[in-house]
Amino acid sequence: MTPFVADVLIPVGKIVAVILYPMIMVVVMIWLERRVVALMQGRLGPNRVGFQGVLQPVADAVKLFFKEDIIQRQADRFLFNISPVLVMFSSLLAFCFIPLGEPLRFGTYTLTLWIAESPVGLLIVLGLSTISVFGVIFGGWASNSKYPLMGALRSVIQILSYEIPTGLTVLTVAFVARSMDLVEIVRRQESSGVWYGFLMPVSFVVFWISAVAETNRAPFDLPEAESELVAGYHTEYSGMKFAYFYMAEYAHMVLVSSLVVILFFGGWLPPFPGVTALRFLHAVPGFVWYLVKIMFFLYLYVWIRATFPRYRFDSLIRLVWKWLIPLSLANFLIVALVRYLL
Amino acid sequence: MAFREIDLNMGPQHPSTHGVLRLKLAVDNEVVLRVEPVLGYLHRGMEKLWESLTYTQVVPLTDRLDYLASLSNNLAYCLAVEKLAGIEVPKRAQYIRVVLAELQRLASHLAWTGFMANDIGAMSVLLYGFEAREDILDVFEEYCGARLTVHGIRIGGAVRDLDAPLIARIRTVLERIPKRLADIRALLDENRIWKERTVGIGRISAADAIDYGLTGPPLRASGVAWDMRRDIPYSSYGDFDFEVPLGANGDVYDRYLVRLEEICQSIRIVGQALDGLPDGDCAARVPRILRIPPGEAFHTIESPKGVLGFTIRSNGSDKPERVKMKSPSFINLQSLEHMCKGNLFSDVVGILGSLDIVLGEIDK
Amino acid sequence: MSRLAKSLKSFFLVDMVRGLAVTLRVYFSRKVTVAYPEKVKEPAPRFRGLPRLYRDEQGEPLCIACKACQRACGTNCFDIEGKKEEGAKLMRPVKFDWKLDRCSFCGFCVEVCPTNAIRFSHEFRLTGVRKDGLLFHLDEMYLMGEDLQDHLCGGCRRTT
Repeated sequence: MTPFVADVLIPVGKIVAVILYPMIMVVVMIWLERRVVALMQGRLGPNRVGFQGVLQPVADAVKLFFKEDIIQRQADRFLFNISPVLVMFSSLLAFCFIPLGEPLRFGTYTLTLWIAESPVGLLIVLGLSTISVFGVIFGGWASNSKYPLMGALRSVIQILSYEIPTGLTVLTVAFVARSMDLVEIVRRQESSGVWYGFLMPVSFVVFWISAVAETNRAPFDLPEAESELVAGYHTEYSGMKFAYFYMAEYAHMVLVSSLVVILFFGGWLPPFPGVTALRFLHAVPGFVWYLVKIMFFLYLYVWIRATFPRYRFDSLIRLVWKWLIPLSLANFLIVALVRYLL
Repeated sequence: MAFREIDLNMGPQHPSTHGVLRLKLAVDNEVVLRVEPVLGYLHRGMEKLWESLTYTQVVPLTDRLDYLASLSNNLAYCLAVEKLAGIEVPKRAQYIRVVLAELQRLASHLAWTGFMANDIGAMSVLLYGFEAREDILDVFEEYCGARLTVHGIRIGGAVRDLDAPLIARIRTVLERIPKRLADIRALLDENRIWKERTVGIGRISAADAIDYGLTGPPLRASGVAWDMRRDIPYSSYGDFDFEVPLGANGDVYDRYLVRLEEICQSIRIVGQALDGLPDGDCAARVPRILRIPPGEAFHTIESPKGVLGFTIRSNGSDKPERVKMKSPSFINLQSLEHMCKGNLFSDVVGILGSLDIVLGEIDK
Repeated sequence: MSRLAKSLKSFFLVDMVRGLAVTLRVYFSRKVTVAYPEKVKEPAPRFRGLPRLYRDEQGEPLCIACKACQRACGTNCFDIEGKKEEGAKLMRPVKFDWKLDRCSFCGFCVEVCPTNAIRFSHEFRLTGVRKDGLLFHLDEMYLMGEDLQDHLCGGCRRTT
């Protein structure tokens, strides 16, 4: 293996893969959402464009591509243009630190299925994903209109408030795994034989609820719901910029699902990694397990959206400050205590 | 502390205003101070139009008032004409009218449940409610050919008789609806998010409800036991045994529960009417061109939206001199400001939905 | 229910799980959607589709230009003129203009017609692209199916 291949081609290939992977998942998500929500409502959903409607996202993308790009005369052009980019950028950048599976061995060369591994990978991913807040607030402000601004403010308050239970619950995982390195956390779950989601179900549930709120998805999607009074920070966006916001939301969902899977559900590990009787499950490559688990959580996102009504904004905030944060604090203390004693 | 008043406009085009209704809101930060509805976007000059049509020709146009419950409008108008002209409706025709009106109430309440849940975010309930409603609309289609603007109740009776296959079909439909209703209840009744959005929201006390002239399910949800079908029975409603559900708090949740319970009661009434269908004609013999001696009559019924009434004045010719319609949605809409004051403006959508207004009826 | 039971139910999200179970069950159930336009749900026998004029078994038109429909109609859809030919038994229409944009599908014309000439068909594809597609003259009152679509849409035949 020449240095050129090892030092240039492979990293560039990985970067391309990291950009393509969420984009492909976004395409899958658009189709999945429309079909699954429809089937849960008792109707069929898009099933004409391509086999079972799989080309529907392509049709949507082409439609949005050809739409007129409207910018208001008094809008702040620079901020208006940069906010979709910021939101997309934050979601995509965090993918650099997400490990997708066991390193693959090709003779003497080991191909790691991640771009970067850091001893504080967890912290970096959480930090990078919060950069999207800037995109939201710039978008709301730059739109120069009452409703997007109010929607943006609400969105920002929501995201920032729900960062706290997110942080506290991932801290419990870091505590038990004694590491913040995402690869290390998965390896710990392998060696301890039990996924952390079963060890700390309260952490998992609180993290999941916070994650759904972070990504502005139902039932926490008041800032962007169509039937509410205030239509959200992306009201004034049209065409490709709107598509960017839309895709960034899905990419963020994939990122959050990856985090849940890695932290609480064993990443690329097959179920029951310690049990010798089920060793045959290891024959399936790690990243296949990872994909299966991610698909389950993405499906769960859509399932929740089809089922529940929307929280009102103040109920949302009351929920996090009065219930989730005390609960996650109590959970953290209990986990810390148990860890200290054992 | 100084407060800033913002004027918000919930424009005529809005996914949640149930028609073309414009609401001018004044909010302080998030709390609603004033609500002023602006009406007239769907005004078609119905009452004036009716003065140039014969009494029979008016009936299909009444379909278009409350278009989600067209048979109720037919019934109210026909009863008023029959009162004015002194026409007696045969007993069988009265029972058929009860069956049709109660089926229409089922359809209207199922549609309402769907729209209300959709406004609050539970999109699936919209589809479930409408799928249940499809069965009823199919019955109407088999009965007289139309699903929405049914025109199935005529002056003197109903358009045709209920034959055995149709009665069997209605019974099958009545068995299917409770199952779908159970699904909707499982999704909403105990759901904490639904309760957060509806319990304690849009409260109106019984005394205020009577002062504002509120009628229909919102009135009963505030605890006032008034239902035209039981208190001033018309069209043989006195023959049937049914309960009138009441609420305790007068909030959005109670209105939701009252309407769901009314669905169950309507199923009971239709079952009793089909079981006890007397022999006779399905309509009295009424000439197509009615000439009514001068007089005035007023008749009200309990439509799914509230108390619906028609005042008709005749002058001896074949066309009415004046028809005035008292629409429940128009009167109920008055109380919107009272209900919304002090609530957050995110709740305005929910409160407006719980009133169950139809713009066709308001604007005529 | 005791407060403990209520709190436990609330903590374990019982109400949410019940809702999720309902949507999951519907997800796997059979859907009632009809794949229009490949499959068409046949309307009920009495369905009020587009009013059409009909002929008898011998092919003779049934309409005798009595104008009962014109008098019964509440929205002025009809404009009929009849003429009785020399030696003919019945009057026949020479002009029968009918406006689709005024029709409220109430059925009075069908009810009053003495010869059952005008009846509701099952045509529900009633969209047109030109204003004169909504006006039907005497011969056009007998059009059905694809010919009717040609009249309404100017013959573009782009869709089924």
